[in-house]
Amino acid sequence: MTLLGIAWRNIRQRLLTSLLTALSLALGVALVVATLVTGGIVKQAFESGSGLGYNMIVGAKGSPLQLVLNSVYLISKPIENISWDFYQQFLPAAERPDGVDGTFAASTKTAVPICMGDYYRGFRVIGTNAAYFDRLTVGNGQPFAFAAGRNFRDAEFFGGVLGATVAAKLGLRVGDPFAPTHGADDGKVHDPFTVTGILARTDTPVDRGVFVNMEGFYLQDGHAKPVEGDDEPSAAVISAAAPVDGSTNPAPLPFAQREVTALLLDTASLPGLPPELTAMGLRTAINEGRDGQAALPIAEIRQLLDLFVRPLELLLLLVTALVVIVSAIGILVSMVGSSLERSRDVAIMRALGARRSHVLSVVLIEAVLLAVGGGLAGWMLGHLLVGAIGPLITTNAGVSASIFSAAPGAELLLVPFLVVLAILAALLPAMAAYRTDVAKWLSS
Amino acid sequence: MATPVLELIGVRKSFTMPGGEQVNILDIDSFQLAAGEHCALEGRSGSGKSTLLNVISGIMRPDVGRVIIDGSDIARLDEARRDRVRADKLGLVFQQFNLLPGFTALENVLVAMSFGSGRPDRARATRLLDAVGLGHRLDHRPSELSVGQQQRVAVARALANRPRAVLADEPTASIDPAHQQQVIDLLRTSCTEQGVALLVVTHAADVAGQFPRRLRLEDFNRAASGNRS
Repeated sequence: MTLLGIAWRNIRQRLLTSLLTALSLALGVALVVATLVTGGIVKQAFESGSGLGYNMIVGAKGSPLQLVLNSVYLISKPIENISWDFYQQFLPAAERPDGVDGTFAASTKTAVPICMGDYYRGFRVIGTNAAYFDRLTVGNGQPFAFAAGRNFRDAEFFGGVLGATVAAKLGLRVGDPFAPTHGADDGKVHDPFTVTGILARTDTPVDRGVFVNMEGFYLQDGHAKPVEGDDEPSAAVISAAAPVDGSTNPAPLPFAQREVTALLLDTASLPGLPPELTAMGLRTAINEGRDGQAALPIAEIRQLLDLFVRPLELLLLLVTALVVIVSAIGILVSMVGSSLERSRDVAIMRALGARRSHVLSVVLIEAVLLAVGGGLAGWMLGHLLVGAIGPLITTNAGVSASIFSAAPGAELLLVPFLVVLAILAALLPAMAAYRTDVAKWLSS
Repeated sequence: MATPVLELIGVRKSFTMPGGEQVNILDIDSFQLAAGEHCALEGRSGSGKSTLLNVISGIMRPDVGRVIIDGSDIARLDEARRDRVRADKLGLVFQQFNLLPGFTALENVLVAMSFGSGRPDRARATRLLDAVGLGHRLDHRPSELSVGQQQRVAVARALANRPRAVLADEPTASIDPAHQQQVIDLLRTSCTEQGVALLVVTHAADVAGQFPRRLRLEDFNRAASGNRS
């Protein structure tokens, strides 16, 4: 019989105490794993919003963080709208009806408008143009990929693209109609759009978005800005108009009645200036004006992470570390509690010829077995927990969270850390076993 | 006398009492136990029986003197080596049997083997238990065995590492008179079969009377008169 076998037998001898100790350890570890994994997921959710092919957001004046949260992460409420004319200032001559470069056109590589305010069965509807998927990118700079179908064309006024989560949740397929509602899920039902494509999963907030052609979006009740007089629609838009189903598009909304919620900008480099300086100059120019504000998503998110997420993460880590330490103390208490019973066994083993190092090792091995057993059970429990709340995280944060989500670095260190902690906790009872007075115990 | 497996020469052992008083427990000029010899050592309570067994088994070190087990003076060895000698050369049978309660009969024998120089031998452990009539109780824990059966496991465990001598401390003191004779018979038979010397310490004259060699501790331990162990 090996020392490991003796230790295992000792654990089985004190089965209830051992199980309770391992259980408390498992619960502690489960909490740590769940915290680490969900913390990583939340961080990923925020970090995934950077590098989507744009580096600046232009919107109505107000909180820049709110602008970023709303435009990038599809959470929080839109501040207000900006005017169509202001949007036009970012477009080059070729995309403007007057054939003149906009004020900020030279500093702008891409400007994608988004219009918000509608919902479809709990998901946000974003009115935009085809450039969103043609010119912007997924977090790592890769172009958007479609799991089914294709991007809508600007001429397809009632075409729409669904994020992966939306399609999976609602069971929609290419060709299916869907009718957004105005302002809220129970708002007025708009005209139906048709799904032209379903995006491959991006693990970004885009997965939770319902993207529709803004031309169709503008034509819905309550989306036209009430103005006096008339205005001619964009010739470029009308000339290419061709609906998805082959029927004729209705007349587009006149420019004067249009607004956009925000612009996603990829800034250009002005000759002789590094891109960062161009962006800073553009931001300053916009912010000094009265038409809107410019926010840098990365800067805003970094600030948010520094202000809230990191301290929260640190606090959670501290709490979970305390939980693990308390669990380790549980091992100590359990072992000290059974030291009377153990002392007799140790004395018998010593009388049979066990060396002090043998009995010391047996106690430490017991602690390690409890730590490994409890640790692995807790690790699995933690992942089960994440798996259980995964759908909630996926729906709200837009990133996939499943039983297989992991925080690899910290998780790999967890069990070895626990083993070291258990050994430290077991040192006291191990030393007591080491020092057991054999003659005294045998005579008693 | 055949070559001794156990020899005490000039052994002294004393303890300091809480009040600072020095009490001599052992003062033995010479004692020998030959290979295969069976000897009963009688002693009244306080004559130093338990201390003597602790010194012989290396659990305690004498203040002075030599304790030679199978040619090695264990009084000069460090504790780890004394432990090794105890595991390899001696088998111990206790008054309270002292079986490990969480371990089965077979495991109690295997545990003893695991502290010896050889590898734990399940087949031999099974044979030993079979020899003491417990072949059908291998997987029973001490709490599931009768007192007599527990003592049998203790005997099998004492023989686990092929010792040169078995030391039995009052092996009949905790069992009823009906089973006392069985235990003595078992010890003597088992030790004879294995060619092992047997030293039984007892205060029971009828037990001591069954051994070919019978000694009174007071006769060769000068410290025994008036002291307690």
